[in-house]
Amino acid sequence: MEEAKKEHFRRTLRDIKNLPTLPGMVTKLTAMAEDPDTTTEQMGKVISKDHILAAKLLRLVNSAFYGFPQRISSLNNAIILLGFNVIKSLIISASIFEIMEDQDVELWEHSLGCAVVCSVVAKRLGISDPEEISTAGLIHDIGKVAIKMELPEEYELINKMVLEEKVSRFAAERQILGLDHAEVGKWLAKKWNLPNKLIEPISCHHDPRLAKEEQLSSAVVHFGNIVIRGMGYGHGDDKWVPPMSQRAFRLLEISAVDIDEILDEIEDKLWDVKGFSLEIQSEQQAAASENNCNGK
Amino acid sequence: MQQILIAQAGDGMILARDVESEEGRVLCGKGTELSACLVERLKKMEVTHVAVEGHPVVDENEKTLKEELFDIEQRFKRVKHIPPLVHLKKRIMERAVKAREE
Repeated sequence: MEEAKKEHFRRTLRDIKNLPTLPGMVTKLTAMAEDPDTTTEQMGKVISKDHILAAKLLRLVNSAFYGFPQRISSLNNAIILLGFNVIKSLIISASIFEIMEDQDVELWEHSLGCAVVCSVVAKRLGISDPEEISTAGLIHDIGKVAIKMELPEEYELINKMVLEEKVSRFAAERQILGLDHAEVGKWLAKKWNLPNKLIEPISCHHDPRLAKEEQLSSAVVHFGNIVIRGMGYGHGDDKWVPPMSQRAFRLLEISAVDIDEILDEIEDKLWDVKGFSLEIQSEQQAAASENNCNGK
Repeated sequence: MQQILIAQAGDGMILARDVESEEGRVLCGKGTELSACLVERLKKMEVTHVAVEGHPVVDENEKTLKEELFDIEQRFKRVKHIPPLVHLKKRIMERAVKAREE
């Protein structure tokens, strides 16, 4: 490929002009979470300034993706029970949630499903912040959204190539753009100032060997992506289950019995995913018909 | 028996399994006939899905078992050389079969 063209794609995707930014609140909360003097009330106050986000946060807290045992009804309770860091990753999820659900329902289902598998696997491994890994699973394909929004023509070419040449989306992206959604996702995550704990699983979800610090989280997201694709939550015409890295397999120490139990655990939670996407679709349809009425 | 989302549940459908809360408490017993009012109550209790008798909800995109097994085979076609993923495929197929049998 011509270097100039490749450089152009790279620059466009690094600039990201069409994707909404994360709310300034995320930066503010990150600073607050690091300050030992921050109180629950202060944090609750900041979050509740954005009503919609606060509502989404509670909805997410009480959904199966995070699977907290009891129902959490207030922001302050959520902060006390879950701690600052968990709340921070939930806020990130809730904001990205908004960006993704408008874009592509199928990708959204795949992402939610991946988050469910990540959460189940992380808990089995006894990882201390399973929520963070769920969040990583939820946003691992954010680079695809960025490509779609910034380079719509090339995005269509990628779709066409996947369909006609029966290659994976990852391979088609490399062919057409000279880069892939994992790399683009990394830039976006960096631009949003997300922690490294989230950046590496995004950039390494196709090859966890590339991870430097977050090897285990990257391996969990890598595996989550494989399992959820195996269950039929893929993306477009790229339906193939990607290969599993040997290294991820060793890191996760997964046995046949584990696979059985993991499938058992996620099955019930996936109903929630279906319910969620049905809800989103009907909301979208309602909004669309409303627009039609207004147009007349 | 068919598993459906609570949003798809309606008047006259018969529960094919107990509806349980997350703690395993039975909220509504097997054999109960659903009414709009009962469905609302289950929604309030955050029940997401129920199993009902027969096959009352018709989904245009629903696949036959044969189609579904074929799809699973296709999805795993490129990872046949990776034993754990072969196991994963086998289990997903078994589940697809079991879900239809009940």
